Amino acid sequence: MAKHPLQMTINGKPVDAVDIPDDLPMIDYLHEYNNLTGSRLGCGQGICHACVVIVDNPDGTSEEVRTCITGAHYFAGKKIRTIEGHAKRDEQGVVTELNPIQLRFVDEFAFQCSYCAPGFVNAATVLVEKLQRQPVAKSQLEQVIEDSLGHHICRCTGYVRYYSATRNVLSDLGLVKEG
Amino acid sequence: MKHLLTRITLAVGLAAPLLQAQADDQVERGEYLTRAADCMACHTAPGGAPFAGGLAIESPFGIIYGTNITQSKEHGIGLYTDDEFFAALTEGKRRDGANLYPAMPYTSYHLMPREDSDAIHAYLKTVAPIERDAPETSLSFPFNVRLGLTAWNLMYADDLQLKPAEDKSEAWQRGQYMVEVMGHCGECHTPRSATGAMEVDKHLSGGLLNGYLSPSLLADDLANRGWNHQDLSTFLKHGMSSQGTMFNEMYPVFHNSTQFLDDKDLAAMATYLLGDTPPAAKVVETRTLDDLNDSAKRGHQQYLNVCAGCHAPEGEGKPHIAVAMRGNTTVRLDDPRNLLRVIEDGIDEQQFSGFERMQPMPGFADKLDQTQLTDLLNYLRQRWGGQTGELAVSDVQKLQADKSDTHSKAD
Ligand code: FES
Ligand code: FES
Repeated sequence: MAKHPLQMTINGKPVDAVDIPDDLPMIDYLHEYNNLTGSRLGCGQGICHACVVIVDNPDGTSEEVRTCITGAHYFAGKKIRTIEGHAKRDEQGVVTELNPIQLRFVDEFAFQCSYCAPGFVNAATVLVEKLQRQPVAKSQLEQVIEDSLGHHICRCTGYVRYYSATRNVLSDLGLVKEG
Repeated sequence: MKHLLTRITLAVGLAAPLLQAQADDQVERGEYLTRAADCMACHTAPGGAPFAGGLAIESPFGIIYGTNITQSKEHGIGLYTDDEFFAALTEGKRRDGANLYPAMPYTSYHLMPREDSDAIHAYLKTVAPIERDAPETSLSFPFNVRLGLTAWNLMYADDLQLKPAEDKSEAWQRGQYMVEVMGHCGECHTPRSATGAMEVDKHLSGGLLNGYLSPSLLADDLANRGWNHQDLSTFLKHGMSSQGTMFNEMYPVFHNSTQFLDDKDLAAMATYLLGDTPPAAKVVETRTLDDLNDSAKRGHQQYLNVCAGCHAPEGEGKPHIAVAMRGNTTVRLDDPRNLLRVIEDGIDEQQFSGFERMQPMPGFADKLDQTQLTDLLNYLRQRWGGQTGELAVSDVQKLQADKSDTHSKAD
């Protein structure tokens, strides 16, 4: 397979353009070329969403993209975030503080084996960012969470804790309005 | 006197109820024919009670709702006699004498013999009554005037006639009945005029339905897209074959109808469509990358970016996940409309017989811009579709703008 140089921004840092096979799936690019192994390969078929990363669009919106079924070159020139990009770190790269979503998920035992957790954190992050642009009415909240996380599969804990932790974090962040 | 007695005996004989065994046979046959005629498709709303109506059928003239054909006396057809049922089926006449909209394919069913109509009616009588009215159809003027359909019917209702069959095999003849009358395939696979009538001189040469092409079913066109007798009957039976899966409007046809047909009838349908001496199915070789033009070469990278994860880098597909692009009938269509639509719209998860599944395909309408879509279409068509021509961005723009549906089934 032919190779071409690929450049993108991952977790705020531009990644050097090296030659990447034209057909390399994004998840392998993250794992093998960038040592970012937090995105999980679950089904490999676009169903479980354990592998999603966040793409930051030029218009300020963000979205999830599945990396198991999307080629690395699709992300050329794009800005992406992976699970490794959410917590605060010191100069050595050691995590010093989880972000509010991660904290809530940990505090509320949202996950067990955690295989699905990177995907859920990214999905909840995209949801938080969506509601930061347009908060949601309380009466719509559960439906919005269902719509935003419903396509993520978890084989261990069920979904109740993920969903209620997400509901709580959205309230903590002041993204739920009366109504 | 003897003459009179014979007459009386005859009359009594005719009116005598069928023996139980005969009646059971009739109901069983009726169930089979009801499936073959795919009554369920239009007379059942998604998730609704069988035959209780309510399916919204879009037409260029407005939305037509499938009616309740359960035994409800008030909302359904519980009061219909066999005669009245036959008139509805074959002439589009309601019990009260009003005209049905020709979304009801009496334009095809008019060739149905009385005994088949009676069998279907016998079966429908066994379906539990659902006491619910289907939503009222309200079309724009002049199509809302049911009376106007009398003139329409005079002009078009019996346009479709069976083809002469003297020199044809028995299978071909049975196939003609199953395809043309029961399956009423021509209702979607035939172009329609501005009045909504099938253009019978272009019968089965392809139509438009809800923005998608209902491809030509003419033997040469089928063979050109790689269809042979075996694959065609497999496709009808299992909803899938090496040419792809039934999707869009054909997906419910598989679920409600073709999967239940017996092998002999399916083979007969394939025989009728391809002919007693079928043309050879055309094999299309995969073209090498070097052989593709510039747009298609760019499209190759689009394919690797967003398609290959499921359809595989060499287009071989993945079992239970996504169909092969090599040999795919939609890729091979001369008209790129369906390929574009399916890339834009995606396909919901599909279930087929024997636990077979295909995973949902995402739509790419907001992921790929017009140039990327054009490149991708050129790649698929040139690499695996046997097409040499190149589509321009303007062709894609034109297709995107043309959501017209003037030849819809539901008129
Ligand atoms: S691993 Fe990507 S969706 Fe399951
Ligand atoms: S915690 Fe194990 S899969 Fe979700």
